[in-house]
Amino acid sequence: MKLETLTVNSFRNIGSAAIVADDRLNIFHGNNAQGKTNLLESIFLLGTMKSFRLAKNQELVQWGAANAFLKGIVAHNGITQEITLLINNEGKKARVDQKALTRLADFFGCLNVVVFSPEELQMVRGMPESRRRYLDRAIFSSDISYLALHHEYCKILRHRNAMLRKGERQGLEVWSEQLAEAGSKIVEKRVAYLEELGELLQLYYRDIAGLDEAATVTYLPQKLNRDSLQLRGETRELLLAAIQRCGMEEERLGTTLVGPHRDDIEFKLGSKALKHYGSQGEQRSFILALKMAEIEYMQRRFGHPPILLLDDMTSELDQGRNRNLMEFIDQKAMQVFITTTHLENIRMQGITRYKTFLVEDGTVIH
Amino acid sequence: MLHFAKSLTRLLGELKKLPGVGEKTALRLAFHLLKSPDNVTALAESLLEMKSRVRFCSSCFGITEEDPCYLCSANRDDGVICVVEEPQDLLAVERSQGFHGRYHVLQGALSPLSGITPANLRIAELLHRLEDGKVREVLLATNFTVEGEATALYLTKLIKPLGIRVTRLAHGIPTGSDLEYVDAATVQRALEGRSEM
Ligand SMILES: [Zn+2]
Repeated sequence: MKLETLTVNSFRNIGSAAIVADDRLNIFHGNNAQGKTNLLESIFLLGTMKSFRLAKNQELVQWGAANAFLKGIVAHNGITQEITLLINNEGKKARVDQKALTRLADFFGCLNVVVFSPEELQMVRGMPESRRRYLDRAIFSSDISYLALHHEYCKILRHRNAMLRKGERQGLEVWSEQLAEAGSKIVEKRVAYLEELGELLQLYYRDIAGLDEAATVTYLPQKLNRDSLQLRGETRELLLAAIQRCGMEEERLGTTLVGPHRDDIEFKLGSKALKHYGSQGEQRSFILALKMAEIEYMQRRFGHPPILLLDDMTSELDQGRNRNLMEFIDQKAMQVFITTTHLENIRMQGITRYKTFLVEDGTVIH
Repeated sequence: MLHFAKSLTRLLGELKKLPGVGEKTALRLAFHLLKSPDNVTALAESLLEMKSRVRFCSSCFGITEEDPCYLCSANRDDGVICVVEEPQDLLAVERSQGFHGRYHVLQGALSPLSGITPANLRIAELLHRLEDGKVREVLLATNFTVEGEATALYLTKLIKPLGIRVTRLAHGIPTGSDLEYVDAATVQRALEGRSEM
């Protein structure tokens, strides 16, 4: 799967840009805040209809313009498809080969993308929320039903929290049951995903670090009195029981304390928690391996690797890990879009085939 | 803005209160009405007539001009009551021609975020209708949204202990959707394949 051309109009600070991409390596370079990451974001939007920066539609449209317009020509298995996205205050309208799509499911899979950004390196030490966000995005990339489930869960959660906040009791158990129902599906999907990802992570970490230390990811459900959810199918009951136990505390705090919106993921090297005891080098190797595992997972799921968007990663990774990453990309023959402030950082690694695009003040200079 | 045509400004203000009508649509409608005097009289009269004659049926809380409504007084199966959120949902089920019992309109769904509690819905009235023992089955046809599902679950907990069969429209209908927008054939299939709660 390759993105052949990208057209961007009135998107963030980019008035108008059109690029013909290399089918391997594409480098957006220039100073900070010129629009490099906006270009990556536009590709991510064409793939998922979502912004990896959690931006609202309004923020995506250039100041003073009514609509932002994105277009990508994607070649896959000898077939080319035109994907367009029109964004305005009212929402996003997607078209594939000029046909309007109303369901996200029809859009999904036309362009598979994965983003790797400095935010993910920071998630090791960050708040649980950043790890949940990472996990949700990763699952959504290969499971379309996950997004609808997630929306549903958030809505139930907001209703339930409104009741707890107002101290209403009548009908609360109905919302608890709904929460447990949707919540258990999310938890089970997360656990299953991490289990499969964990095996791949182990292989890649060994490659990068050259050590036999076991790299593991474990789902940490809060208040369930279970270390991990090995027992499938009873998550709903476990959640309900936990809700029962936390009843008083929830009433006192006026918020829902049980469910996937409170859970966390633990990264470990051997028996050592990466968050507290991992060196910076170990943390970077770990996340890099995790990202490779995610890409391999998608390749197994769709039969081809996704397009990789690397946001300013070469300055974050040292030379050795950069080499690991480039070898991985090369071996998979993936198409990659990279942003960097220093072009020479990338040239140093002996890559011969690439296209560069200088990005200055929202304009792409070839 | 239109200080030279206050009555037009007032009309625009009223039109914009309607769902889905913004500034642009309001202007378009207002200027259309301005140019065609015949329509206006008929439209104004029908609005007034509708408001004065249409009310809620005192039994099922659907819309009607006669009380009880024709669906409540027609010769239909008294043993089954189909529970919907809004009068337009009743029309959607009726259009499918797959249901021959009575209806009950809740006039909404549970929504703590919008402050809609069980007391705001026609739930007490529904329970009252179940008292005479004629009803064998209550078919819950609330929407497949989180609010509609919560309402269905809430009603199940109230009605099942009364020894009455409680069923739910089958999931032939896409989740997160309002019954009103689902086509008649889909509703019919969902009626046929209804499941036990
Ligand atoms: Zn009636």
